[in-house]
Amino acid sequence: MARAQRGDARAFEQLVEPYREIAFRVAYLVTRQPADAEDAAQEALVKAWRALGRFRPGAPLKPWLLRIVANEAHNRRRSDRRRERLVLRAAAASSGEAAPSPEEAALAAERRRLLLDALERLPPPSRLVLELRYLLELSEDEVAATLGIRRGTVKSRTARALERLREEHGARA
Amino acid sequence: MELERELTALAAEIDWPPTPPLRPGLAARGREPWRPLAAALTLAVIALAVAFAVPASRAAILRFLHLGAVRIELVQRLPAAQERPLGARLGPTVDRQTAAGVLHAHLLLPPLSPPPPLHAANEIVSLLFRDHGTPVLLSETYDQSGALLKKLVGGETTVHGVRVGPDPGFWLSGRPHVFFFPGAPPRLAGNVLLWQHGPLTLRLEGHDLTEAHAQAIARALR
Repeated sequence: MARAQRGDARAFEQLVEPYREIAFRVAYLVTRQPADAEDAAQEALVKAWRALGRFRPGAPLKPWLLRIVANEAHNRRRSDRRRERLVLRAAAASSGEAAPSPEEAALAAERRRLLLDALERLPPPSRLVLELRYLLELSEDEVAATLGIRRGTVKSRTARALERLREEHGARA
Repeated sequence: MELERELTALAAEIDWPPTPPLRPGLAARGREPWRPLAAALTLAVIALAVAFAVPASRAAILRFLHLGAVRIELVQRLPAAQERPLGARLGPTVDRQTAAGVLHAHLLLPPLSPPPPLHAANEIVSLLFRDHGTPVLLSETYDQSGALLKKLVGGETTVHGVRVGPDPGFWLSGRPHVFFFPGAPPRLAGNVLLWQHGPLTLRLEGHDLTEAHAQAIARALR
């Protein structure tokens, strides 16, 4: 970090390398457009490089970086663009521990598809907090930093979003 | 808890778009294949109005970056441009007080005696001087819009993220690039050091200017 803050671009690249994928996915969840997400993530990395001098040594880099990514993605989220939906992999492996029967596998796949559909029907703020928390497996603190809200707000928003999802999913499952 | 477990399990099943080859800290690759970026991002600083007068370039924008008043765009094809003097169309000469008023900030100057003439136009203060025999153009602006100046960068130019002391910046080098100055026609230009110092965006250009030379000039500004 010290080398990067002194202007070593290669040191900065090494610092952010582990977060490139999650940075792109955060941007994608906000914009729902791969091209916009790529632009947002790229620009965010450049802004992070420029702002690195203000980064507090010892603080976690990941939430700081994701906050920049999310801000950039929100700025690029365009109302005139069709937004993509999340989809499941075509041959998604079962998450069960034992090999399921074909019928069990089909039922599990159907349940996952319905759950994803229900998630997609949530209002964007509710949907996004669940996606960051569970699909990207961010901690509550990281979600709070990424969205620029307090941890308590993350907890309450997550609870309400889960309740809403439960209703949506239960109604159609 | 069951629903939360199901959501967590769902994470492994999502068909995410492939993560693109992001370039931390500096410029970027286009979404389309580029010749090896030894190639240089051709740098053109262009007023937004001028950019919009170049539809062919605008249509081919692949990526852009912002630094203070400047927007750098990576394009497939650069607009035509001619070589013109560094000091062309910089605006009328002004005294130091007027120049500082244009910038709303402390004017940074090279330690030369007598000081070089100052020019002001379109909220940009410029000065042309020689450093170790090399003609150098320094431009400063307070504008933060990211749209006052614009650089179009194409095939054969490289862009590196750099620091000028603690300040963030970019070093653009390679083949001569196209440069647009507000109110002036495009011209071919040499290597450029671009950086942000507080509220000011500064741009240093010179034919055959090396990064080390540009950095030395930049650090000497007071």
